[in-house]
Amino acid sequence: MSRVDDGVFVVCDGMGGAPAGEVASEMAIQAIARELNGHTNGEAVSSSPFLPHTTRLLDAVRQSNEFIYGEAQKDPSHAGMGTTVVGAWIHEQIAGVAHVGDSRAYLWHNDRLEPLTRDHSLMEAHIEAGLVEQGQRLPAEQQNALVRVLGREPAVEVDVTEVPVQAGDYVVLCSDGLTRMVPEAELAKAIQTFQEPQQICDHLIAAANENGGADNITVVVVKVTGGWWHQLINGVGSHLKRK
Amino acid sequence: MSKLTLQYEGIVLKDYAIGPGVTIGRLPDNAVIIDNPAVSGHHARVFLEGHQVILEDLRSTNGTFVNGRPITRHALQHGDEVLVGKHSIVFDQNAVEPQPVAPPLESLGDTVYLDTKQHRALRATLESARADAAKSVNARPAPPVVTATRRVGVLRVVAGRSDQDEYDLAPHTSLIGRSDTSLVRLRGWFKPSVAVAIARSGNSYIATPLGGKTLINEERLDGRRVLQEGDILNVSGLVLEFCWKDAVHAESAA
Repeated sequence: MSRVDDGVFVVCDGMGGAPAGEVASEMAIQAIARELNGHTNGEAVSSSPFLPHTTRLLDAVRQSNEFIYGEAQKDPSHAGMGTTVVGAWIHEQIAGVAHVGDSRAYLWHNDRLEPLTRDHSLMEAHIEAGLVEQGQRLPAEQQNALVRVLGREPAVEVDVTEVPVQAGDYVVLCSDGLTRMVPEAELAKAIQTFQEPQQICDHLIAAANENGGADNITVVVVKVTGGWWHQLINGVGSHLKRK
Repeated sequence: MSKLTLQYEGIVLKDYAIGPGVTIGRLPDNAVIIDNPAVSGHHARVFLEGHQVILEDLRSTNGTFVNGRPITRHALQHGDEVLVGKHSIVFDQNAVEPQPVAPPLESLGDTVYLDTKQHRALRATLESARADAAKSVNARPAPPVVTATRRVGVLRVVAGRSDQDEYDLAPHTSLIGRSDTSLVRLRGWFKPSVAVAIARSGNSYIATPLGGKTLINEERLDGRRVLQEGDILNVSGLVLEFCWKDAVHAESAA
């Protein structure tokens, strides 16, 4: 989902192995859009350590979790559905980022790629605990295991961060279909080489497919540019490849 | 990925991932910027060579030291403490991230989710592993770990029009500007909507200029900057001093 005028960008990746993963990611997008269209809750905002727009994004992601969980309880064919989510809302030059699962957000700033999210995966949990070394891999059945997703529990912990963005910066949101196939260095090179968001997206999707991409790949590249009165986000390219 | 942790007098300022070429120095074009007269413009660099992480002194005036010894070129080991001027940089080999390199296709199974029960079991395993790791480091001095609770910074108004004398930097991001989401409101039609964002990062605050003209210690603030006690910010005419709050409050609470 990209709402360029509002500066809102969301990527969801339904869980392929779980039933109705595609339905879940669709529901998440709709629920988030609905929440963001609604009126702000001024009281909730004032107690948050984040800026109002980031807090609204966080609330919307929480609400979407409740919604998907509720739907899954009602309909047996949707039982156990889940999805990842990574959303960014860029407002007054501050990007608020919320995420659950292994879809990622990166900031390109000063010719450097900075990760804004940390995967909620079994792999990442093992790394944090010092149980695996660089380059080592978990047994195949654990390789793709997530420890947090939307829609599988009545409530979910959402990771949130905020980062200032300046003219020349890029914000990249992507699903694991990209990050499993394309090294971060190549992502950095693509931004440096092509500069135009759509070209960057096209190149990344092509590179992932060349490397044997078998999963859904979703990439959103947002270029931040300077304006006279305010910053504008003028370039958005995204590409969705479905199986 | 390995990482470098920049510290000053035991306080962690920032973590840096080791990319293809990380330079350390005083000038703003370095990846690790240390704004201190004891540090050369381009002081040292860190780069990957095969499986090794190499630290190289770039003929700096005051030299680069690893664990107290001067070096010109050194293969970093886990826990090495690099001294550049008065700042130390600790090398952490274990801050690994999953290899983003393409895995073979047969292992590309569908993503699965661990349910609450599996998750709890996992958490227990991970916590005991962490405890074991903590015990085993006694054998060898570990890099200093800062466990102090998060300090809160404040901006004190030195000169200019403002609605408060002092602002606590409690939120994740504090804005200075004309916008109504700003913590520090600038008055006047021609003031920038958002002039500066001050974001918490671990135990430090990073100021980023976003609009208008901002000076720090009478020099133009033209990129991200870690705030130090006593830094003077001049944001479109409003003069603010950055200080740490905890010292004052800890004493009065004791």
